[in-house]
Amino acid sequence: METLQQMGAGFGVAFTPENLLFVFIGVLAGTVIGILPGLGPMSAIALMIPIAFGMDPTTAIIMLAGVYYGAIFGGSTSSILLNAPGVAGTVATSFDGYPMARKGAAGKALAIAAIASFTGGTVGVVLLMLIAPVLSSFAVSFGPADYFALMVLGLTAVVTLGGRNITKGLIAAVVGVMVSLVGIDSQTATLRFTFGMPELYEGVKFLIVALGLFALAEVFSMLARRGAGGADGSMSSLRLNRRELGRIAGPTGRGSILGFFTGVLPGAGATVASFLSYSMEKRIAKDGDTFGSGNPKGVAAPEAGNNAAAVGSFVPMLTLGVPGSGTTAILLGALLVLGVTPGPMMLSERPEMFWGLVASMYVGNIVLLVLNLPLIPLFAKVLKTPRAVLIPLVVVFCVVGVYGLSFSVFDLWLLLGFGVVGYLMRQNGFPAAPMILGLILGSMMERSMRQALQISYGDWTTFVTSPYSAALLGLTVVVLVWPLVKRLRTGAKGPAADGGSSPDGAEKAEEDTATRP
Amino acid sequence: MFRARPVAVAAALASLALAATACGTGGGQQTGGGPWKPDRPIEIIAPAATGGGWDTLARTSGRVLEEGGLVDEPVQVVNKPGGGGSIGWAYVAQTPDTPTRLFVTSPPISLVPLMGGSVYDHRDFTPIARLATEYMVYLVPEDSPIESWGDMVDRLEEDPRQVSIAGGSSPGSMDHVALAGAVEAAGIDPTSINYVPFDGGGEAMTQAVGGHVDAVVTGASEAAGLVESGDLRPLAVSGAERASTLPDTPTLQEEGVDFTYDIWRGVMGPPDMTDEQVAYYEGLFTDMTEEESWKQQTEALGWTDSYMDSEDFGEFLDRSSTDSAEILTTIGLIEDGEGR
Repeated sequence: METLQQMGAGFGVAFTPENLLFVFIGVLAGTVIGILPGLGPMSAIALMIPIAFGMDPTTAIIMLAGVYYGAIFGGSTSSILLNAPGVAGTVATSFDGYPMARKGAAGKALAIAAIASFTGGTVGVVLLMLIAPVLSSFAVSFGPADYFALMVLGLTAVVTLGGRNITKGLIAAVVGVMVSLVGIDSQTATLRFTFGMPELYEGVKFLIVALGLFALAEVFSMLARRGAGGADGSMSSLRLNRRELGRIAGPTGRGSILGFFTGVLPGAGATVASFLSYSMEKRIAKDGDTFGSGNPKGVAAPEAGNNAAAVGSFVPMLTLGVPGSGTTAILLGALLVLGVTPGPMMLSERPEMFWGLVASMYVGNIVLLVLNLPLIPLFAKVLKTPRAVLIPLVVVFCVVGVYGLSFSVFDLWLLLGFGVVGYLMRQNGFPAAPMILGLILGSMMERSMRQALQISYGDWTTFVTSPYSAALLGLTVVVLVWPLVKRLRTGAKGPAADGGSSPDGAEKAEEDTATRP
Repeated sequence: MFRARPVAVAAALASLALAATACGTGGGQQTGGGPWKPDRPIEIIAPAATGGGWDTLARTSGRVLEEGGLVDEPVQVVNKPGGGGSIGWAYVAQTPDTPTRLFVTSPPISLVPLMGGSVYDHRDFTPIARLATEYMVYLVPEDSPIESWGDMVDRLEEDPRQVSIAGGSSPGSMDHVALAGAVEAAGIDPTSINYVPFDGGGEAMTQAVGGHVDAVVTGASEAAGLVESGDLRPLAVSGAERASTLPDTPTLQEEGVDFTYDIWRGVMGPPDMTDEQVAYYEGLFTDMTEEESWKQQTEALGWTDSYMDSEDFGEFLDRSSTDSAEILTTIGLIEDGEGR
């Protein structure tokens, strides 16, 4: 009841014309910046910070939060249309979003992304509103051993992302983990694999690898095909029928919940959330084997997950004063300069700000949907751009995005290098997704493991004595063993069981015809 | 501040002599035309990405300088992230003929080179002014059996394995040095400490609140919120005086430990700046620290005013660098004499 009252006051704050205007500006600016490959929420917020200075702190945080989820949504647009994720959290969206776009269903993919993002964001805000004070104890309950177990569970997604040849998938994942180890080792301050180059001391930036492996590699294959193949210029309507909405309802709902709680954990964030949602859906979906070739569920799950996680990552910032992600770290810095100290006292000392922000997130989500649904046909027209114009543009955006991050020419060479690696991987049937996954989770997994062992003085039982860790590792075992059990059981039923994929195939064909205009 | 040692004094004198020769030779074309003034926009380099401590310092300075009308030329903040600062330092060190290119700095300028992460250290630049400082704070979770700093020392003496202590940065960086120096001064072997590095003070404090580690060392202003809410209990601060954000927390010296550690923040310029140029910037930054908006900003950030002019700042840098080198040598992270 009290919460409802405060929420009412919060909407009072959010609905002042000034704040509504700035939510709108923030979301719009965030979306536009996020669409550009390479520019994610961090760059978007950094760009908007000078504007925020001098504003009323409540209005400023409302605008910057709008920029944040606008940028995440914008990133999914470039993931789907160009295979050029601007944001780490939308890499998983490209796995099915880009194939959908190539099949002519770009409008549909963008609509699914918009609806799933809206749902994820809304579910996140509702959860934030209802249980934020309780959540701070959840956010601190994860120790290093638990993070390690979470990352291990995340890495099992390699099996589902690996495509047909599991060995090649594992090789790609190992290479990803190896790349994640480059730089100063946080536990001993030792330099690893830096070859004496200061540019590598802080490691290889995720975005460089993602843009190289996905966007540049795609550009190279387009060039190599000399115009054959590529995106289908034809465009389906963006309207989703009831059946399609029904299909994505489950993945969206589960992705929202899973994403939110992953986002609450400091350090895990939207990227881990989107990968976890994607691989969970792929595993439980009946048509799991069509994931990766344009399954709408594969767009809905990570999109719901990353937006819910973006909201979730506000929990540690608002309740503990601790940034849950790189982006909220920048937000936190901006707030400090504005004279606001987010943290445990914020809810009691500045309730108007806390609830105003929560309410404006809700408003921002609606703005995001209203703003973007009408724009989708326009965005989707990008694919009608002649190849001769589109390819150079993608390259320009990748270069600008990477250079804008560090102002370092060295990083551009890295980008080119990973583009070539990505192209060679494609030519030889190595999937890029496991490599990205290994890169994201590898360093975090290693760091957590060593922290846990440091605390326990090398006692490995620390991984099973913590309840979270034990449960997550148990789940990992189940996830890995289950397909074997299933195979043994179907194997016992005889070779006819092999036809299990045909219903899925039929459904896929049907879906293909349904997407024609 | 830091314990003065004969070595430190000698090093300070030596480097002063060096600085004097450097100043004498560098000023060729600039002298003779009255007081020096910048003839193009002033660049303030933040050797880190946007959003961090250096970036905040650079942008706050830039804003106060421009809004206060203290400069005729615009002030541009440029981020040169990478290598824990070394990319930005190399950039400034390689342009000795650009006296309008300054950078913001703090203890890593001596720690990173000591640990082998940068070929340039503070002696390769011209100190301009120390602006502000902040202290470290040592905290335990609210429900911890550890009652005071002395109690923690007793437990560490009994069995260092009893107390795991989190920090927000890798071994050999500020948090670790501030911890190792304090326990060493309290008579404990700093190599026996179970220091667990995390990715940032926020993460380290979260782990302490959750009870995954027994104690945490981090910046005083960063910890203020969780102290006020009662989630963390401060044992001591590393300053010579109590921190304004934590007025009830004793200093290490009050707890009988002869050790202080400053997270100082300052401005440096490229090598070989002329006396006129240094004098201009000293005046500029003195004016800046007297601006009302600067005082408001630094108070909000939990920084204490601790202005030092170029000469004092240079000596201070030599002293603190020597002290840090000694601590790092004691912990065994660097060989004796390495980096000096």
